Amino acid sequence: MLGLFSSLDCSLDVFFVEALLNGVLLAGLLALLALGLNLIFGVIDVVWICYAELVMIGMYAIFYFVQVAGIPLPLSFLLAIGLVACAGTILHYLVIRPVLDQPPINQLLVTGGVLFLLQAAATMAFGIEFRNLGIRLGSVNIGDMSFAWSRIITFAVALGAMILLWQFLTRTYIGTAIRAISQDRQIMPLMGVDQKKIYLATSAIGGGLAGLAACLMVLQYDIYPQIGLQFGPLTFMICVLGGLGNMVGGFVAAFIIAQFITIGGSCVATEWGYAVAFLFFMLVIFVRPQGLFGAKS
Amino acid sequence: MRFLRSAAACAAAIGLVASASLPAAAQKEIKLGIIYDYTGPFAGGGSLPAAIATKIAVDMINERGGVEGHKIVATYADAQSKTDVAINEAERLLNEVKVDALMGVFSSAHCVPMAAKVDAAKKFMWANVCVASAVFKGKGLQYVFRPQVHSDQFGEASCSFIAENAKAKLGKDAKDISVAILYEDGPYGTGVAAGNEAKCKELGIKIAHKEGYAATSTDLSALVTKLRRARPDVVLHTGYNPDITLFLRQAKEAGLKFDALIGHGAGYGQIDKLIETFKGDVNFFYNVDPVAAQLLDPKSLAAGMGDVTAEMVKRYKAETKVSEVPPHASMGFNQQWIFLTDVLPRAIKKHGGFDPEALRKAALETDIPSGGTIQGYGVKFFPPGHQMSGQNERSSPVVMQYVDGVTKIAWPSSLKTIDPVLPFPKGHAYAR
Repeated sequence: MLGLFSSLDCSLDVFFVEALLNGVLLAGLLALLALGLNLIFGVIDVVWICYAELVMIGMYAIFYFVQVAGIPLPLSFLLAIGLVACAGTILHYLVIRPVLDQPPINQLLVTGGVLFLLQAAATMAFGIEFRNLGIRLGSVNIGDMSFAWSRIITFAVALGAMILLWQFLTRTYIGTAIRAISQDRQIMPLMGVDQKKIYLATSAIGGGLAGLAACLMVLQYDIYPQIGLQFGPLTFMICVLGGLGNMVGGFVAAFIIAQFITIGGSCVATEWGYAVAFLFFMLVIFVRPQGLFGAKS
Repeated sequence: MRFLRSAAACAAAIGLVASASLPAAAQKEIKLGIIYDYTGPFAGGGSLPAAIATKIAVDMINERGGVEGHKIVATYADAQSKTDVAINEAERLLNEVKVDALMGVFSSAHCVPMAAKVDAAKKFMWANVCVASAVFKGKGLQYVFRPQVHSDQFGEASCSFIAENAKAKLGKDAKDISVAILYEDGPYGTGVAAGNEAKCKELGIKIAHKEGYAATSTDLSALVTKLRRARPDVVLHTGYNPDITLFLRQAKEAGLKFDALIGHGAGYGQIDKLIETFKGDVNFFYNVDPVAAQLLDPKSLAAGMGDVTAEMVKRYKAETKVSEVPPHASMGFNQQWIFLTDVLPRAIKKHGGFDPEALRKAALETDIPSGGTIQGYGVKFFPPGHQMSGQNERSSPVVMQYVDGVTKIAWPSSLKTIDPVLPFPKGHAYAR
């Protein structure tokens, strides 16, 4: 602990500002990941523990579309989003639907089982190699600061996706039905909303968001079967911190956690950034078990 | 009468079958439990090459008739890049499969707890690849042995290399050189970083920045920013994958510049994969590791060692279809070969078998001079009572440099096959 304080260096210089802005850029990706998971939980009331594994499937799909099938990158992105959306729908139909009326622990264990299944299947199918598309988008320099285009694009697309989703949820019939179901699962079927169809549509949108996250992550990260372990716990923590099922809460929580990681990493040490983020999470959960923006059940 | 004839024929047939199967049944077996990471991040970080080469060693020995008339029966277990799985597999192999000795093990994070556990149970363990000094340092282990280089030596090698080349290549005295020490925060990275820090300080090299991080970090941009602020001449990095690729990618994107990067095994030992990902950006990178055996001049080794290396390389390439055989293959093979051709025969002949006590005595008597193994170094274990008891005191790493996809030896000068390229040439992605 003494080492922690002795290495404290928070000079308010250009590098500090760079770390701060890098935190904002990282938050975009984390917020997008949390958005899909929150949407599904908010509507269906089931936590897809295997959400990051769907992202992994999307990343592998893009890799094979581009490297093996020779499909242009933009088209590969669209195909991957469609594929993961389908995977989300299939996951709901085959795995979630049968346990909808089961206790939450059963639902959690089932999706946990899917997590291990997908990881093992990916290892068998794609091998243990770390793969990537070899895309280098360069960076933009502002004074002495430098920011990767891949991160800027990720942030912009993630922000755009969130705005689009919000528009969809507030301005379309299906979107309104999705929001209504998330507010009252019992009443809406009595008002003519087909709950099963809404669940399937939500799963497809959630899967599509995982596919979109995959498109952005292949620009920054290697693809390997366990990449879900790198992002899954963090995403889940952000969702819980923001209030499970609360999309705005998840968005804000992503920014808080990302700043802990980058500013904590910049002022103290990288490993302490994560430690402090998790400590903050624990403290919030002690005080507000429903998360920062969650409603008391 | 007919019954008697039938019974006699039956008995004769049974006798024939029994006598035919007798030699096979009579061949004694030695059961080895070999643990590596065949899946998970460590597999691609070097564990799989080590595992493949270890099996090649076992196969070659069995093809030669085994060890003192004993066939080697190996059970290969997958630790899945998880410490808890590694420990469970070790217990399964020892208690259920009833292996006579445990070996392999890639990750130091697995090695440290496993060695302590196996030793406490008075079972025999032979560590092939893991390097953390913490496996042995101050532990007083009795039944665990490691011919492999240890992490303190990794850390020392890179600093010695910098000091020896500072004036000639960088135009500065060692005391004017600054390094950044980056490491994954497990036993492997921490051990190497401690070696880096101690040796660099001893040589007067400035440590501009030292920092650990979790190998599963999703973002290292803050670390890169700090390095841009500290402006080290040389980056000393110890990591696995995917952290190495994440760091290199974010470092390039952030415009981090330095004169040289020296990696320390694991992810940096996989040059084929680094080139696949970063192309020319990793040209002229250095890597500290026990030498890849095929890089050594066979004439500098004991008679027959060159042939063993050639056979290993031939089989490894046939199985994996790679062009460059990574150092991890040599590590897995070499330690296995030492055990099977030196320790085990002596245990059987001199100490009457291959129980943990016999193997321990035989290991403590190991005395292979320099040049006596395919990786060049000799083998003699620090004795009981020494703070590193069980560790090979004659092991030594080399500093290799990757030049246009080919691995060259840059240090020590007695083995070097290249005049090191230092600093990076102009135009290099990380050149100042």
